[in-house]
Amino acid sequence: MICVGDVLVSKGEGGVYGERMLDGYRVWDPYRSKLAALYLVGTGIELPPYMKVLYLGAANGTTVSHVADYVEVVYAVEFAPRPMQDLLEVARRRKNVMPILSDASCPEQYAPLVETVDLLYQDVAQPDQAAIALKNCVFLKDGGYLILMLKTRSVDIRKEPAEVFRDTLDILMSAGLTVTESTWLAPYHQDHAAIICTK
Amino acid sequence: MQSCWFGDVEAGQCTPFTGDSAAYARRVREIRTSMDPFVPPDWQQAVACGVCRDRAEYLALLQKVCIAGSEQAVREQYAAKDVELLQMVRTLDEMDTVTNVLSERVADWYQIRHPSFSRKYRRTPAHVLVKSISERNRERGGGGGALGKVAAEITSLADARTALAKEVSARACDVMPNTSALIGGLVAARLLSHAGGLKELSRLPASAIQVLGARTALFAHIRTHAPSPKHGIIFQHRRVHNAPREVRGKVARVLAGKLAIAARLDYYRGCAVPVFLDDAQARIDRAGTVEGEGDKQQ
Repeated sequence: MICVGDVLVSKGEGGVYGERMLDGYRVWDPYRSKLAALYLVGTGIELPPYMKVLYLGAANGTTVSHVADYVEVVYAVEFAPRPMQDLLEVARRRKNVMPILSDASCPEQYAPLVETVDLLYQDVAQPDQAAIALKNCVFLKDGGYLILMLKTRSVDIRKEPAEVFRDTLDILMSAGLTVTESTWLAPYHQDHAAIICTK
Repeated sequence: MQSCWFGDVEAGQCTPFTGDSAAYARRVREIRTSMDPFVPPDWQQAVACGVCRDRAEYLALLQKVCIAGSEQAVREQYAAKDVELLQMVRTLDEMDTVTNVLSERVADWYQIRHPSFSRKYRRTPAHVLVKSISERNRERGGGGGALGKVAAEITSLADARTALAKEVSARACDVMPNTSALIGGLVAARLLSHAGGLKELSRLPASAIQVLGARTALFAHIRTHAPSPKHGIIFQHRRVHNAPREVRGKVARVLAGKLAIAARLDYYRGCAVPVFLDDAQARIDRAGTVEGEGDKQQ
């Protein structure tokens, strides 16, 4: 990962969402992006330039634009039309962003488009986040990474976040994935956890 | 046979698909992929197929297809009749809030300017006061200073609101003819806004429609066993708020029941159904008369 001083940055055309520039690099704000927060509170994984990424829950394309700065291609899946308008604008200016308006819980809808990827990144506000991740593992190559940004409050608002966290880890491990890192994203994001697995 | 966006692969033989990016996007939607077993598309296969020459070309073409497909999907979702109505009615309700808040503020301001002025015993609601301030401002040729200008702005905002309300009502009658016929365009549109769309509204049970918009009261009821709310937004309809107190809950319940049916007719049929409407109106009217409860009263 590229850092200027101790500020996480990415290299690319700026002005996507009004981000600050530092020495010609785009500053990657951990308060706006969970992936940036993960690199600051934990280790995360390197994003080499040959990497292919399937990104579920692309939203307005904020994090997508930074990931696209690092990797070869990002397949960005988003369900809602409003954020998709922004994501399309990002895609028009970045050759390696593939916007897909689809439901991440129905991978068969975008199966004809998405090739085998090295990284599956998921950030969706759904109750069955672990199940969605597992369904999408068909696109992940053997030995590939899964980064699950767990929104515990979306899983069950009445359960303790820690309990949701434990349950999700159990589901992922019993499905045969190896959890290599798991951490909370405080103080940048409340009740959000990051889980990294390998297939 | 395995189909992916660039062509069909069968026993190692690949048939490429040709057409513009919109045609590719349409094709992607029509493909029914079985996920078990599933092999993701491979760019080298596309090269072998003759769709593109190298990786860069593959990605460039794929991006065109993805963008065309997503743009088309967004356009289709926005073309649904209820999407704009949703924004219109939310704008309307927010304009109400804003004009009310501003009117009260301007009235307070006016009282400071005129220390002897009081609204007591005058029955002057804030919006009437604002209107008179803005009129006086106009008579003086705009010499009323900032207060006069703000009052004039509020008045014109209120005019815009009236025009919008008419449009919302007309649009609601078009989008949801049955629901609007039962409860009026404006209230029907508010129900739509709270449900989040016509599809969502048509899938709500009558009991949920009855208390739509009474969220605080409903959760207070569930948590603390306070009395349950009898009505939410549908209270705004004259049949409910004009009904005698003792049958108001009953009217709300019957009305909500008929609204649930009406919303389904609107979503799945899309036109007014006179047979249903006549029957429903009669049933709701019957619920509204105290005599209808004659047996219980005696």
